[in-house]
Amino acid sequence: MFESIVLWLAAVLTAPFFSAVILKVKAFFGGKKGPPLLINYYTLIKLFKKGSVYSVSTTAVFKMGPVISCATALAALLFLPMAGQMPVISFNGDVILVLYLLGLGRFFTIAAAMDTASPFEGMGAAREAFFPIICEAAMFMILIFFYRLTGELSFAAYFSGTGTLGLWQIAGPSLLFIVIAFFIILVTETSRVPVDDPATHLELTMIHEVMVLDHSGPDFALIELGSFCKLFFYAAILSGLILPFETGIPGAGLLVFIAGLVIVYLVVGIIESTIARYRMDKVPQFVLTSFALAFFATIITLELIQ
Amino acid sequence: MSHFFAAISLILAGGLLSLVFARHHLFSRAGATLLISAGCAWGLGAAVTTLMGSVTHSVSFQYLNLFFLAFEMDALSAFFLAVIFLVCLMAAVYSFHYTQDAAAPVKTAVTAFFFSILVVSMALVLTAANIITFMLSWEIMSLSSFFLVIHDYRKKENRYAGYLYFVFSHVGAMFIFAGFGIFYKYTGSFGFTDVHILTQGAKILAFVLFFIGFGSKAGVFPFHVWLPHAHPAAPSHISAVMSGVMIKTGIYGILRIYSLLELPAPAFGYLVVAAGVVSGILGVVYALGQTDIKRLLAYSSVENIGIILIGMGLGMVGVASRNPVMAVLGFSGALFHVLNHALFKSLLFMGAGMVVHQTGTRSMDALGGLLKSMKITGFAFIIGSLAICGLPPFNGFAGEFVVYLGGFQGIALDKIPFAVSVAAIIGLAVIGGLALACFTRVLGIVFQGEPRTEAARNRTESGTTMLWAMGGLGGACVIIGVFPGWFFNLSLSAVSALNLGYARIPQAPFAQITGHITLGAFVIVLLVLGMAGVRSWFYRAKPISRSGTWGCGFTRPTSRMQYTGASYAFEMVRFFRPAAPIEEQHPPVAGRFPASTRYESRVHDIAERCMAPGVIRPVQFLFDRLRWIQHGDIHLYIGYILLAIVLLLFFI
Repeated sequence: MFESIVLWLAAVLTAPFFSAVILKVKAFFGGKKGPPLLINYYTLIKLFKKGSVYSVSTTAVFKMGPVISCATALAALLFLPMAGQMPVISFNGDVILVLYLLGLGRFFTIAAAMDTASPFEGMGAAREAFFPIICEAAMFMILIFFYRLTGELSFAAYFSGTGTLGLWQIAGPSLLFIVIAFFIILVTETSRVPVDDPATHLELTMIHEVMVLDHSGPDFALIELGSFCKLFFYAAILSGLILPFETGIPGAGLLVFIAGLVIVYLVVGIIESTIARYRMDKVPQFVLTSFALAFFATIITLELIQ
Repeated sequence: MSHFFAAISLILAGGLLSLVFARHHLFSRAGATLLISAGCAWGLGAAVTTLMGSVTHSVSFQYLNLFFLAFEMDALSAFFLAVIFLVCLMAAVYSFHYTQDAAAPVKTAVTAFFFSILVVSMALVLTAANIITFMLSWEIMSLSSFFLVIHDYRKKENRYAGYLYFVFSHVGAMFIFAGFGIFYKYTGSFGFTDVHILTQGAKILAFVLFFIGFGSKAGVFPFHVWLPHAHPAAPSHISAVMSGVMIKTGIYGILRIYSLLELPAPAFGYLVVAAGVVSGILGVVYALGQTDIKRLLAYSSVENIGIILIGMGLGMVGVASRNPVMAVLGFSGALFHVLNHALFKSLLFMGAGMVVHQTGTRSMDALGGLLKSMKITGFAFIIGSLAICGLPPFNGFAGEFVVYLGGFQGIALDKIPFAVSVAAIIGLAVIGGLALACFTRVLGIVFQGEPRTEAARNRTESGTTMLWAMGGLGGACVIIGVFPGWFFNLSLSAVSALNLGYARIPQAPFAQITGHITLGAFVIVLLVLGMAGVRSWFYRAKPISRSGTWGCGFTRPTSRMQYTGASYAFEMVRFFRPAAPIEEQHPPVAGRFPASTRYESRVHDIAERCMAPGVIRPVQFLFDRLRWIQHGDIHLYIGYILLAIVLLLFFI
C-alpha cells in the first residue's frame, strides 16, 4: 500500500519529465538541440507564479474545468498498477469507473471551453466530444477481450504481478492487435499526431490546444499537469503490455517499467516527427481502426481458448 | 392497501378542488399543490414501506358480477409506485409557481385536474391485478395525458402532437388487448394468476404483442415517433412527469408480463437487448440533432429507455443461460436506472421549463449565457446533465455501472449470449459518449457563452417552489450517486418479486458493488476538493483581471459568431447519416461581395420519415377501399350489429 502511494506520487511528479522526451525526439529529427528535459517543470513553475486574466463571458464553470480535469487524471492514476505493483485502489469494475472518470474530466474541459463564447473553442469542443466516443467503444472492446481472458474487471488483474505475462502466454498474437489498438487510443485521447498536433499554430486546426486558449496562470498549469498525467496513464498501460517481464529481483521491475515508458514516449515522438496529421474528416476512420483491431483480437481469442 | 387508496383519494381531491375553485386562482393552485403533494408523499411512504417489508397487499371490488376490479401491490409495483409518487410530488411542488400566470385560471385548473387523474391512473396501472382493471387504468392514463398534451391547443403543432399521441397510444393499446386476448383464451379468466399455463408458442406471440404495445408507450424505437412531439407540447412539469415516469409504465408492463409468463426463452432477451441498443443509440443521435430544448430532452428519454431495455435484456439472457448473477445484475441495474432516469430527466425538464418560461423560446440557438443570471437553474441543470451522461459521482453512473457488470457476466458465455453481451456493452459505451456530447452541447449553447438574441439577455430565475423542486431533485441525484446502497436494495427487492425462481437474493455481494461506487465517489470528490485547495493556494494575493475572450486576433467579435448547436453536432450526426439524414438548405454564395444569406439544417428521424410511405399510406389505401361499408344509413348499421351477433352465435 505504502509502495503504491509512493509510486503514484512519483508518477505524478515525473509525468512532465516523460513528456519532454517527446520534445527531445522531435528536436533530434529536426536536427536541433531542443529544449532541456526539465522544460515542462520550468513551464509549470512559471505558470504557477503568474496571475490570471478571465474573460468577461466566463462563469464559475470555467474555473472548475482545470481543477476537475486535473483531479480526474490524478484519480485515474490511483487505479493503475505500475511496475507490476498493486495500485492504490483496486476493485472489481474499477476499469469502468476510470473510463467514466476520464469522461468527467472531458465533460468539464468541454464545458470550460464552451464557457468562453469563442467560436474556435466551440469548434475544438465539438471535436473533443466526437473522437473519444469511438475511443470509448474501442476501450470497452479491449476490456471485453481482457475479461474473456482473465474473467476479471480490474487493472490490477491485467497489469500487476505476472498477470500480463499470462495474457501473452494465452493469446500472444491477438495481444499484438490490442497493443496497436491501444496506441491509437493513446494518440487520440491525448491529442497527439496524427489526430491532433500539439505544436500547431492555427487555431482552426487544433483540438485540445484551442479549448484551453483562454486559460492562463495556475489554471493553465493544472490543465498541463492533467494532460501530462493522462499521457502517463496511457503510456503506463502500454508499458505494462509491451514489457510484461517479472524478474523477481527487487527494483528490476521498476527499471523494466521505466524502459517501457521510454519506449512508448519515443515511439510517440518518432511518429510525431515523421508523419503529418490526418485531415479532420479522416480521423474517425483512423480511430475506428482501433475498434476493428480490438474486435478481431477478441474474435481470434474466442477460437484460441475454447 | 388502505394507505395507498387514501393517498390516491387525496390526489383526486386536489384535482377536483382545483377544478371547483378554478375562478379563485391562488386558492385553486395552492389547494391542488398541497393536496396532490400530500397525497404523493403519503403514497411514497406506503410504497417504500411495502418495498422494505417485501409483503404483498391485495384487495378487490366487485360490481354486478361482471365488473371485477382487483388491485395488488407487490415489491415490483411498489418500486415503480415509489418512483412515480416521488417525481409527481416534485412536479406538483414545481407547478405552484410555474402556473402562476393568472391570464387563464380555468386552463390552469383543468391542467391540475388532469394531472391528478394522470397520477392516480398511473398508480392504478401499477397495482392492477386483472385484465379489466389494467386496461381501464391504462386507458384513463392515456386519455388524461392526451388532454395534457393538447393543453395549449391553439398551436397547430400541439394539436398535431396530440393527434399523433392519440393514434399511437390507441394502436399500442390494441396490441396490449390482443395480448390479453391470448391470455383469456388459455386461462378463461380475467385474472393474472394462471398465465403460466399458456403453450410456449402462445407465450412467445403474447410477449411480442405486449412488447410492441408497451414499447410504444415506453418510446422504444421505432414506436417512439409520438414521443418527441407529445412530451414537449405539455407544460414543463407535465413533460417531466410524462418523460420521467409515465413512459416507465411501459417498462413495468414488459417486466410484469415477463414475470407472469414464466418462460425463460433466450429469444426474449435478444429481442429486448437489440431494441435497447437501437433505441439507445438512435435516441441520442436524434437528440444531438434537435434545436428545440424540450424535444431534445424527449429524444434523450428514448435513449434512456434503451439503457433500461439493455439492462432488462441482459437480465433475461442471464435467466435463460442459468447465470443468476447476470440476471440479477441486469434486472436490478435496469430498475435502478428507472429510478435514476426519473430523477434526472424530470430535473432537466424542470430546468428547461424555467428557461422556456423566462425567455419565451424553446429554440436553443436563440439562447446563451443563461448561467450568469440563472445560477440555481443552471447548476441544477449541470447536475442533471452530469447524471444523465452517467458520470461519477452522480446517480446515472451507479445504474449504468451495474448494467455494465451484468453485461460483462455475459462475456464469459458462448455464441449468441456472448454476441448479445458484446452488443450491449459497446452500445452502452457509445450511448455514454454520445450523451456526453449531447449534454455538453445543451449546456454550452443554452447556459454558457453569450446571449445569442435579445430573448436570452438579462433573464433571471423566479418562482421559489420551482427552485425547491429542482434543488430537491438535484440533491437526490448527488445523494444516490454517492451512497447508492440503500436505494439499490430497493431495486433488488423489486427484482425478487419478478418470480425468477431464485429463492432469496443475497444482499452482501451487491452491497460490495455499491460500496465500490461510494469509494470511487469519495476518491473523486476528495481529489477535486484537494485540487481546488491547491488552486486557491496558488491564487492567493495574485493579480486577477477580466477582459474579453481571446478572439485569435479578431478584434470585433459578436455573440452571433459563437459556435451553434447545429455545427457542434454536425460531424457526429453525419457519422450516423444512414439512420439520421441531415437536410441542408442554403442558396449558393454569388459574386465577390455576397449579400446576406441563410442556412438551414434539419436532422430527420428515420422512423418518422418511413412512417408515411410505410404505414400511413397503405393503411389509408386499405380503408379507402372499405369506405363503402360506412355510408351513414342507420338501418344498415343495425343490420351489421345483427349479423355480427348471429355470426358470433355460431362460434361460441
